[in-house]
Amino acid sequence: MDRNKLIKWIKTPAKMGNKYSLHAVYFCTGCGIIEIPPTITTRWDAERFGVTPAATPRQANLFLITGYVSLKTLKSIIRTYEQMPEPKYTVGFGSCPINGGMYWDSYNTIKHLDKYIPVDGWIAGCMPRPEAIFIAVTHLWKMIDNDMADGYKKYRNNYDQYRANQEKVLGSLDWPPLFK
Amino acid sequence: MRELELYYGPQHLGMVGNFSITLNVEGDRIKKATANPGYLHRGFEKLMECRTWMQNFPLVCRINVVEPDHIELIYSMGVEKLAGIEVPEKGKYIRSIYLELARVASHLFGLWAYSNMLGFDTVANWAMYHRDLILDLFEELTGARVYHIYIRPGGVRRDFPDGFEDKIIETLHTIGGKIPDYNSTFFDNRLFKKRTKGIGKLDRENAKKMGAVGHAIRATGMKYDIRKIEPYAAYDQVEWDVPTRKGGDAYSRLLTIRDEMIESVHMIFKLINKMPKKGTVYTKTPNPFKWKIPEGDAYVRCESSRGELGLYIVSDGGKKPYRAHFRTPSYSHGLTILENILAGEDIADVGNIMMSLYVVAPEIDR
Amino acid sequence: MNDLKQKIEMAFDSIDINIPEDNRMIINISKDGVISILSYLKNAGYEHLALISCVDLINENEFELVYIVSAYMKRDDEFHDREKQNIIIKTRISRKKTRFMTVINIFENAEPYEREIYELFGINFQGHPRLKPLFLEIEYEMPPFRKNFDTRKFVDDMFGNIPEIEGH
Ligand code: SF4
Repeated sequence: MDRNKLIKWIKTPAKMGNKYSLHAVYFCTGCGIIEIPPTITTRWDAERFGVTPAATPRQANLFLITGYVSLKTLKSIIRTYEQMPEPKYTVGFGSCPINGGMYWDSYNTIKHLDKYIPVDGWIAGCMPRPEAIFIAVTHLWKMIDNDMADGYKKYRNNYDQYRANQEKVLGSLDWPPLFK
Repeated sequence: MRELELYYGPQHLGMVGNFSITLNVEGDRIKKATANPGYLHRGFEKLMECRTWMQNFPLVCRINVVEPDHIELIYSMGVEKLAGIEVPEKGKYIRSIYLELARVASHLFGLWAYSNMLGFDTVANWAMYHRDLILDLFEELTGARVYHIYIRPGGVRRDFPDGFEDKIIETLHTIGGKIPDYNSTFFDNRLFKKRTKGIGKLDRENAKKMGAVGHAIRATGMKYDIRKIEPYAAYDQVEWDVPTRKGGDAYSRLLTIRDEMIESVHMIFKLINKMPKKGTVYTKTPNPFKWKIPEGDAYVRCESSRGELGLYIVSDGGKKPYRAHFRTPSYSHGLTILENILAGEDIADVGNIMMSLYVVAPEIDR
Repeated sequence: MNDLKQKIEMAFDSIDINIPEDNRMIINISKDGVISILSYLKNAGYEHLALISCVDLINENEFELVYIVSAYMKRDDEFHDREKQNIIIKTRISRKKTRFMTVINIFENAEPYEREIYELFGINFQGHPRLKPLFLEIEYEMPPFRKNFDTRKFVDDMFGNIPEIEGH
């Protein structure tokens, strides 16, 4: 272990723990998922960075939205996101979640993901290379250090607005609100 | 025993892709399976109607992530047929080599998913690494790892760079040299046989009735391959064989895939040897902004690594397609066949059977 | 191809067949004849339904349904001319009365295709066992693949005025 970090570990163990064990939900949302297998296998080996896929959202703290989000997927994304324990971080992978990407005029994909769930960081590109994931992960570390990766708090504080936006596109949702 | 309803996917470890199946189970047995697609529906064919003929290329290749190349090809073939464009000889060879490389890459991806599902992590890591070697070739040739947009109406975008053929041969030797290892750790493994033999059986009659194509029908013994039946590109220029098996179960399908991969590697060697050294690789097409294609309709088809891929395309004489409809192999595989053969199997075999049929969700939803 | 053309012309009257190129045959038939010609072709060995498609001919106020059939191989390892052929059957129905007959009884894999056309074009296939939405999550004011559905306008209306999340 890096000796310089020792003090940090002692002072803020929880933060350091979150930082170095990012468990990504296993959810293939769009075409960006094709770059995840190379990332987690030998060539790029994401486990060097502590990133590893987790089977269920209940054990995960990183949600990589890998690509375009259709309305049907949005529903399952919201459900998955709400199941994850806090603190949780979301990263949008590819141009599609940022602004619709090349499906800007499609009737069935949403254009700005951050209007429906909070997103902590974006990786631009269509499709981004695996290296970009690592850059994003190191950025996320910095953000966690500085308490800037606080999307989950934002979700809690502005839940009404998020829920209203979700219901605007999906019609009334068939599960009760997460926060009252 | 009580019957339960179980949701398999879209967020599920055994599910490759954004797809969902609702299972009615009794104990461990599946009573009824209902496929629930649509998680990736983007309305491609509608979007294509709003874009010009050339603008559609970056769009169509996103129909199938695992191998976008055959989708590019089929769209080019459709445009070529409507506009009456010929492909030069060298362009045909390059197309074939490129498509066979894509087929190997796609089969390796399938192998990754399959071995991962059965718990053979070593094989999964090998397969993913070998696929990456091919993606490196693509990157050198086209500038992109996944979406290449290399095939265009009238040929391909650019010629092979200097010494590229040697690089292909070297890479394929690396992969081919590993095949005995794949065999001994995976295909000849007792566990692999136990998990796949007799699972997901699809006999000839049912396969025909439910519209099976590609390796699903070849695993029942029929040499049904569009590359042989209606040769396109340069597939009629070299000698090659269609690998088949008899069993019709997941085991036969997997072995067909392996044999196909080996056959493709051999075919690439032959194609490289026979490829003309000189010549243009594409026919000039008009200015893409003003390109109008004569009125008419056409149906073209090719053999992607999943099976028969078709395109029905209609032009009204304008700058944009009037209607395009892709006939994708996963469509009948994932919706009709999967629902039928899952009944009576174990829950543990759902992902196994789905991958052995090679169902790719974006191809279904489009 | 020409033999088949003659045979079909003998068996059906008022049918329009042309062969635009090798191995492609286009049959135009009125909507009552579709079931019988499909079963005729199936018995003649064309038992692979490749595609059911639909084209919205808005200027003529009609939908065109397109069925494409081809053949599997007779023997396992002999290639004949028959597998090369694709037969395209076209029929038209009015845009006002969007009803048609299902062909599931003839081709089993027609089921998802018909469901898709029902959803994206709004054509009702009578006799289909589960005409439920296949792809779409929400209801649109009009089936989205019709030509008079303007996706760009729809996107502007629907996604354009979703507010940003403010405050923190
Ligand atoms: S950004 Fe590009 S690669 Fe990523 S999901 Fe969108 S279209 Fe696919």
